[in-house]
Amino acid sequence: MAHLYRQGWCLASVLLVPLLVLASPGLLKLNAVGPAWGVLWLLPWALVDGPVSGALVGVGLGLLLDALHLGPVTVVPALAVLGWWWGRLGRRGAPIDRSGSLALLAVLGSLLLGVTVLAQQLWRGELVPAAAQILLAQALITGLLAPLVCSLQVLLWRQQLPGVRG
Amino acid sequence: MQAGRGFRLSAFRVLMAWPWAVLALLLLAVRLGKGAFVLDAYALLSRPFWPGSAQSEWLRSAQRFDQQTRLGQLDADNQRLRGLLALQNQQPGLVAAPVISRQEGGWWQQVLLGKGSLQGLVVGDAVVGPGGLLGRIASVTPSTAQVQLLTDPGSRVGVWVARTGQHGLLVGAGSPRPLLRLLDKDTTVRPGDVVTTSPASTLVPANLSVGVVQAMDEQAMPAPEAVVQLSAPIAAVDWVQVIPAVRSPVVP
Repeated sequence: MAHLYRQGWCLASVLLVPLLVLASPGLLKLNAVGPAWGVLWLLPWALVDGPVSGALVGVGLGLLLDALHLGPVTVVPALAVLGWWWGRLGRRGAPIDRSGSLALLAVLGSLLLGVTVLAQQLWRGELVPAAAQILLAQALITGLLAPLVCSLQVLLWRQQLPGVRG
Repeated sequence: MQAGRGFRLSAFRVLMAWPWAVLALLLLAVRLGKGAFVLDAYALLSRPFWPGSAQSEWLRSAQRFDQQTRLGQLDADNQRLRGLLALQNQQPGLVAAPVISRQEGGWWQQVLLGKGSLQGLVVGDAVVGPGGLLGRIASVTPSTAQVQLLTDPGSRVGVWVARTGQHGLLVGAGSPRPLLRLLDKDTTVRPGDVVTTSPASTLVPANLSVGVVQAMDEQAMPAPEAVVQLSAPIAAVDWVQVIPAVRSPVVP
């Protein structure tokens, strides 16, 4: 069976995520909080390529993103779990890739990512007073961008894998 | 008869000269009143020509110039005296660096500078912008340096309140306003006090502006806490200056 990760340039597109995180375009910010770019990239990938690929790529993406942030807080477990979960959803029968579903999945993913970061900061005694605000702002802006960004990616990845149900 | 007519004539003349008498009385009143009426009249007439905003602007710019000159002289004097006390062994050269990426909202509060170890930056250097201290360098690559902002939850910098002479720990809170944890239980710090880096600090250069105390929580445990508004506008800073940390000479 064909897999997306066999195609080098598809996998290389993950490098766009750290670049977007660093560039953090000011127009795509809500209350100075940018979207979770990792979630926006991982969601269509996992939906198209399945749970194992999703989890593995999630781990790789998490390692890339951790390298950009100061401190030992990590996003690897959250992204791995999300990749696995979304991969399983993508392999289910009913089509999941409607705009509304994508937005909902992206919001849930962003919330899960934020909660794991928050939990680690709590554990380290570095509680952010504005945590709820950041969590909600990131979930909202991620959900708003997801129908546009993720739908395009789902289409693009499906074109690369003609054998996959479309 | 002649004399009588002459007398009546002169009396009539005196009566006819009443305006002069009024004038004389007026002058007498002016004299006795120390010219109050004249001065008030002069003030009324000359009002359009009074010194206005242009003059006050001159004076203010002259004052600013004076203050800047004095600041420069006091700074030089301070450096000389610190040198005599061997607190700071060399005058550090500032390195100007552009901000090439900023994440001042969200879970991490950091900016990325476009200069790194090739330009002599090392981990721990203080980063200042227009307005005061911004943060410290947390990691360097050959051409970039990550700055941990004072607002980052992991940031801890020792500061002091100049007015009361009390030390405290500036703890990032993830929001634009970090917390000042005072070390003393009894404190007279109040909103409006200026927070600077400690004069005895070894991690960051002494006497850098940090911010102003905005609110005070005296009930906080275990010691009072204050909310500090930073004086440097992080969201608007495009170029920063890195102050290389003072490397004390190795004593054999």
